[in-house]
Amino acid sequence: MKLATIGVGNAGSKLIDQMIEFEFETGRNLCRHALVINTARTDLAKPQHIDEDRRVLIGDTHRKARGHGVGGDAEIGAEVAKTDIDEIRRVFDDVEIHEVDAVLVAAGLGGGTGSGAAPVVIDELQKMYDEPIYGLGVLPGTYEGGRPALNAARSLQSFVNKVDNFIAFDNDAWRSRGQTIEQGYEEMNEELATRIVTLLAAGEVDESEVGENAMDSSDIMRTLDTGGVSSIGYASTDVSVTKEGLLAKFNESEEVQSESTDAAKIKGLVRRATNSRLTVPCDVSSADRALIVFAGPPDVISRKGVESAREWLEQEADTVDVLAGDDPRPDSSTLAAVVLLSNVTDTPRISEIQNQAVDAQNKIQQQDAVREEEIQSLITDDDNDLDPIV
Amino acid sequence: MKIAFIGVGGCGTRLVDRVVRAERDTDRSVTDGNVLAFNTEPRAFDQTTALAADQRILLGDTHPAVTRRDSNDHRRNGDEKSVDSRERSAETDTVNSTKAPQETSSSSDNNSDDPSAQITEYGVGGNPEVGAQVAQADRPEIRRALDRIDETEVAAVMLVSGLGGGTGSGVGSVLLGELQSIYETSVYTLGVLPARVEPDRRALTAARGLRTIVPQSDSVFLVDNDAWWQNTDSVANCYESINTMAVERVLGIFGAGERDHMSVSEMRIDPADIKRTLEIGGVATIGRQTLDIEVQSEGLLARVLRLLARSPSTDDVPVDASTVKNLISQAVRSEMTVPCDISSADRVLVILTGPPDTISRKGFETGRYLLEEETETVEVLAGDEPVQDATELTATVVLSNVTTVPRIDQLQRRAVTIQKTIDSSDTAKRSSDTEQSDTTSTGQQRNQSTVEKSAASDEFDFGDIESDTSS
Repeated sequence: MKLATIGVGNAGSKLIDQMIEFEFETGRNLCRHALVINTARTDLAKPQHIDEDRRVLIGDTHRKARGHGVGGDAEIGAEVAKTDIDEIRRVFDDVEIHEVDAVLVAAGLGGGTGSGAAPVVIDELQKMYDEPIYGLGVLPGTYEGGRPALNAARSLQSFVNKVDNFIAFDNDAWRSRGQTIEQGYEEMNEELATRIVTLLAAGEVDESEVGENAMDSSDIMRTLDTGGVSSIGYASTDVSVTKEGLLAKFNESEEVQSESTDAAKIKGLVRRATNSRLTVPCDVSSADRALIVFAGPPDVISRKGVESAREWLEQEADTVDVLAGDDPRPDSSTLAAVVLLSNVTDTPRISEIQNQAVDAQNKIQQQDAVREEEIQSLITDDDNDLDPIV
Repeated sequence: MKIAFIGVGGCGTRLVDRVVRAERDTDRSVTDGNVLAFNTEPRAFDQTTALAADQRILLGDTHPAVTRRDSNDHRRNGDEKSVDSRERSAETDTVNSTKAPQETSSSSDNNSDDPSAQITEYGVGGNPEVGAQVAQADRPEIRRALDRIDETEVAAVMLVSGLGGGTGSGVGSVLLGELQSIYETSVYTLGVLPARVEPDRRALTAARGLRTIVPQSDSVFLVDNDAWWQNTDSVANCYESINTMAVERVLGIFGAGERDHMSVSEMRIDPADIKRTLEIGGVATIGRQTLDIEVQSEGLLARVLRLLARSPSTDDVPVDASTVKNLISQAVRSEMTVPCDISSADRVLVILTGPPDTISRKGFETGRYLLEEETETVEVLAGDEPVQDATELTATVVLSNVTTVPRIDQLQRRAVTIQKTIDSSDTAKRSSDTEQSDTTSTGQQRNQSTVEKSAASDEFDFGDIESDTSS
């Protein structure tokens, strides 16, 4: 697939940057256009793989933002995006939309810029283009608190209503010890970038042999066509040893057995991808459609394995709409299986975020209601005997 | 975040001077020279070392109620003018007729040659009404001075004042109105509350000052002298250490991200985060806790190893999750600049300052979440200020719009009591004194000076102590 990508806010920008880095490293070519949008000038300096003129600062003339961010306020995030929509549109004008299959908008849903500005950008894109617009959203973890949960719960509604498919990533599922503040979300971004790029870049190897079972962009788009929220599973295995081992296999001349071993490996890989940490934990059987991409040297992808893996997933996901295909990477030393579960409707984390958001909203409303009164009573003595100075 | 600091009165002036010195010492550029100090008494500038001549503005030269030392009392510019005004005031209006006796009484109390035993009788004489009048009369001069603040360079303006002072509260109140009408940016106040050992009149001024300063500011950071009072042998040292603490904390917030050399952090605090925390108004307080980080003895080797493996997969980070969490929790339990019930906070901001490559992110998140529970608000913003190779880790917590502040209630009760005393003596006086039955503001001034007399024995001004009073 060929993509135009837009990162909105800090997390979204980092993600797009990370996706491009992964592409470079693995010789893929997915993101034909990359653009980042932010409200904080300093954050725009962070991406390493985005051209200077593809970084858009919005809200620098807004009274509350002034190029310093929106302080986690989604309303202001949306407001500044609306005000500066012409500027965003102008930068997007250079994108030759006929060269791409789809547009991907990435954002963190907990912060103010991502949750607020991204839906506005998506609205505009939907008006401008017929191509599908996909969302890639990072859900805040429980420990990020009530305000991010509220931003996320509200933004999720906008996202899911506006995009053609929303791929979710749950920070909580990926929270781990041992990361420093400096590393921040780097590790998670790498994991997510690996999954997204491996999935969506299928079928886009330059000048490579197109396998008969190659995954096609249209297959992926068809799977994503359901709308709703999607989750991605991933597993990989080292195959460089297998190549050495090939000689050994001939020596033992037991090709049939090796074929069945490979098949078992493939199925095991898919099983692992589905059961391992999904980008957002979900009940697999609630998926509407599913798709498996095998990325790696074609000679290790056993047809038999692919078929049995597909059948296994068909049962697990409880749907007959399961596609499987290859993304041949002859030079790769790993074999990866990516499982896309499209339109999963049973995702406990999203319900949790919604509950946290409702509590947060109640608390915020209570505070708003008594704020002025409480300040007045603080600065006034009990019987109001003291006069102000002026 | 770039912010202008505007000191008013002796206390405010000294604090602003200290801000400028502190930002130099810590390699931060927060004010970028956008600093002013307003006074009604030239001596208040004496202790400043970091303020340029054009950053010091003396108000009230032409106001009849403002008194100056005479020229042989103190050698400095404009003395002639002050003699002038003094003479003029001596023969004019009601304000002065009440001032004159007080002046003599207090100058006999404290040897006016002794700089440490200073006095509020000069300048506006501790009277906030006079302070407000002076500021209103000198409005053109104030505006001219404010022009020196480059508004495009700063994201906010901070008025700094001792709320017990006549200049701090009186001039400060009018100045705030000016700042709010001139600037589009947020206008905050750093206000110092007088200690219990300070004169009653200062408590009354502070309690009344809160009523004008809080509604006019986007947020008011309070520093409570009482909470930070230590029974050291030197009162001056005590104020000194309170000022140091206050400036350190304020810069800990507004200076975050303004160091000369700093790395870019993903969770960096943005000026918008600070502004959003404060935008709700009311009173804010700051807590802070610092932890020494053990630097490994094999420092260099460890560092090289860390560089070689950029993202170590080990479970160990030098400052682990529970340490970071505890530090944040201690910061909110620490002595705040003004003590309060932390659960009455409306919004919260936490900033972690230290070496980003050693601090557990999980601990940071957990600590933030803990604050959300303890302060009973969901509006808790968190960020870090990366300082490479630092050996300290500091958590600074801002509680914005705290509404249960016992110290303010106490101050109000004290103020009400003293005002009642004044009112009764005033009524008695009023009946015998018919020619002065004009405005209420005149009445107020008279009240103030009466109080001053009664408090003259133990009188000292937070702003005006230059050296050890025990000498």
